[in-house]
Amino acid sequence: MTAPFALAPVAPLAAAQLLGAVILGTLGLSLLLPRPRGRSVALGVFLTLAAGVVTVGFIATTFGGRLATDDLPALVEQGLFWLFSITALVFAVVLVVQSNPARGAIAFAFVVLSTCGLFLLLAAPFLMAATVIIYAGAIVVTFLFVLMLSNAKGPSDENDRSREPLLGSLAGLAFAGLVFLTLSLSAGRAATTSEKLLPAAAIRPEDKAELLAAAAELKEAADPATEKHRVGSLGYSAHTRLTGVVGAATGEFVQNSLGRTLQDRLRLAETDFRTAEIIAQADELKLLKKAASDALDNAILDPNPDVAPLRTKLAELREKTLLLAGRGELPARNVTAVGHALYSEYLIAVELAGTLLLVATIGAVAIANRKGVTA
Amino acid sequence: MITVWHYLAVGAALFGLGLVGFLTRRNFITMFLCAEMMLQGVVLNLLAFGKMHGDLGGQVFGLFIVTVAACEAGLALALFLTLYRRGKTLDSGAWQSIREAKLPASVDVDPLRQTREIPDPVLTPAGRRPARTEDEVRV
Repeated sequence: MTAPFALAPVAPLAAAQLLGAVILGTLGLSLLLPRPRGRSVALGVFLTLAAGVVTVGFIATTFGGRLATDDLPALVEQGLFWLFSITALVFAVVLVVQSNPARGAIAFAFVVLSTCGLFLLLAAPFLMAATVIIYAGAIVVTFLFVLMLSNAKGPSDENDRSREPLLGSLAGLAFAGLVFLTLSLSAGRAATTSEKLLPAAAIRPEDKAELLAAAAELKEAADPATEKHRVGSLGYSAHTRLTGVVGAATGEFVQNSLGRTLQDRLRLAETDFRTAEIIAQADELKLLKKAASDALDNAILDPNPDVAPLRTKLAELREKTLLLAGRGELPARNVTAVGHALYSEYLIAVELAGTLLLVATIGAVAIANRKGVTA
Repeated sequence: MITVWHYLAVGAALFGLGLVGFLTRRNFITMFLCAEMMLQGVVLNLLAFGKMHGDLGGQVFGLFIVTVAACEAGLALALFLTLYRRGKTLDSGAWQSIREAKLPASVDVDPLRQTREIPDPVLTPAGRRPARTEDEVRV
């Protein structure tokens, strides 16, 4: 039993990689930053690239960088992740060292686009679209300011000088290196716990289709317009479908159960604590399914069946099935879900943000609109 | 397998690079863009944690950060405009008279390298000027 906040020991290789990356990056950036004397673009680019390679090596060795060649979606995800993050970091370096602010703004646009790709990989399409739109506007306005305020005649103090290039780069990169070190310590500790992996799709599309089909049959069975004799057959059909996905309830005998059930698969890959919730939900559904099928059996044995309570049970089962089918669709219903969260849980924060925007607008007008302050 | 740590690492790297730019550069607009880049790194962290926990809190916080960034952009650009009107420059070093007391002033000693000014290109006239046919135009 380890202490709750015990950290894993630092791997010597990771520490050496981090130290090397920080030193190389500091030297490279300080050579690349604009200054009147001693700027060396070729050597700076070489050192910065070397620092980038060492950093990628650090990330790959510490957090895992084995290519998933046997799993195509995972491979595509990895490829996109590396593409977007490397593009973002390369253009971030360009923004920092570019002496022309207009080119810097273009580089910032690429940084924003690449991070938006990462947002998309993180299942946040709405935030991605909002960021693209807002930052596109912001960058256009910044551009306008650059064109309006910069006098592009020859070298200028603000663009061709840097304040303490070496110490500044060391401060920023040492900070990033410390964060990396903390991350590697925590990652080593979390390697065996459920904190390591981003959750995989909890419910596969096939499962979802099956659950939805069962829900459709249950709906028809629970519909008062359905004839009495069909309620039983529809209920049993839905029952078989559900058995394939969520498994058989205790006491139920199922011949030749179809493959692994949802619970089994989730328990095999128990990587996040959403899994426990879904398993619990599936267990509940299993019991409910058993109750509904028992009710069906009783109703069929009854010479004069009363289908009204049966219909209620099937309707309840349908609700639960639909709920389970709706799990794990964070990306698909993102806008709906974000809107719902914003205007229910975070309503006060939304109001405050609106107030902040109003105050900022008034403040900007008040600051920029002063007449007669020109010296 | 891409884990939450990969995203946290990218966010930290963006934040660190933005910090370098904010500390070293002297142009207000570049400093502002670097600060925005630091915010991007933070949003990346929030989204990674949101995805890890499987809820929307991270995305909502990201939206609020975008809102605050919009406010910041508006105020910062208004402020730059005012400062430019007063000092006719975007150099943050031009405002070091408001530094803390007892801190020495930083002086630029190295002369800026003068670049050769490239004149605008002038096209040599080619061909013959067509004869004017005023009579026909005046029909």
